[in-house]
Amino acid sequence: MTVYSFYIFDRHAECIYKRRWLPRPASLKSPGGPELGQTMRTGDDDAKLVFGTVFSLRNMVRKLGGEDDNFVSYTTSQYKLHYYETPTNIKFVMLTDIKSPSMRIALQQIYINLFVEYVVKNPLSPVEHPGGLGVNNELFEESLEQFVQTRVLA
Amino acid sequence: MSTQKASRIGEEIWKTRIDKVNAELVTLTYGTIVAQLCQDYDSNYQEVNKQLDKMGYNIGMRLIEDFLAKSGVGRCANFRETADMIAKVGFKIFLNVAPTVTNWTSDNNQFSLIFDDNPLADFVELPDDGRAQDELWFSNILCGVLRGALEMVQMQIEAHFVSDVLRGDDTTEMRVSLVRYIEDEMPPEDD
Repeated sequence: MTVYSFYIFDRHAECIYKRRWLPRPASLKSPGGPELGQTMRTGDDDAKLVFGTVFSLRNMVRKLGGEDDNFVSYTTSQYKLHYYETPTNIKFVMLTDIKSPSMRIALQQIYINLFVEYVVKNPLSPVEHPGGLGVNNELFEESLEQFVQTRVLA
Repeated sequence: MSTQKASRIGEEIWKTRIDKVNAELVTLTYGTIVAQLCQDYDSNYQEVNKQLDKMGYNIGMRLIEDFLAKSGVGRCANFRETADMIAKVGFKIFLNVAPTVTNWTSDNNQFSLIFDDNPLADFVELPDDGRAQDELWFSNILCGVLRGALEMVQMQIEAHFVSDVLRGDDTTEMRVSLVRYIEDEMPPEDD
């Protein structure tokens, strides 16, 4: 499988971490400029769009399925978006190719084994992470890289 | 979720997933912090209580993530469940004590935690200056921990001690009140 990108949003709806691996699938990119209905976007815009999407989708899912309901992933013809949210309202989002298996457990593991261990438990990192402060530390990034690599090869 | 079930979860995590440290190390470290604060604030115990609460708040905001990672529990259905979760899972896995939850108000928004055993206060005798007995809440850091931890899971609470065996009371009791549930924050509007 292929992992395209990965985002973490905190409880203030801010993107505190983002990472992109490969360019989005070729078919989404048009050689001669933006396609119809698709404008050029920066990485920042992507994060905002992703947040808006999962935020609305989550709220809709809860309205329909009850307070405890949550969505796991959605698939388009081009990519699959995986979602995991902690009770502290930290949201983990991963975009992969459509053939990828469910990454819910993987996202949960990123939270438990990487985020809590290397970001939350680092006594010198701030409690909140405005602008990604404290999340972009070496241990976290390297372990994330490794974690994703093993998934991709598997 | 019943109290018994919460107790079982707490017990299980405590046994299998927790690294243990020497109890005296914890007691003495905490005691040193309180003693240092008493010195720094010139035995202004109100200020010491406040500082302990603040430290606890910062600890709680992090500790909740570790709590969730270790316990894997989801959101509580109501405040009564939250109380059991705090007493039987939270206190159990971090301090190996399980305070009794009691004295609920009829609206289910306020309860007391009664500590039979408080590892922070072993070996402690309050200073004999005639004021500490009335003013210092030795274990006040715990109030802050609860406040910080619950704020992260969308509950604003207020917590304070109402009695302490260190002061000669019969029990050590903390009062916890739910102020409100915190709404999800919305992303800022695009300009």
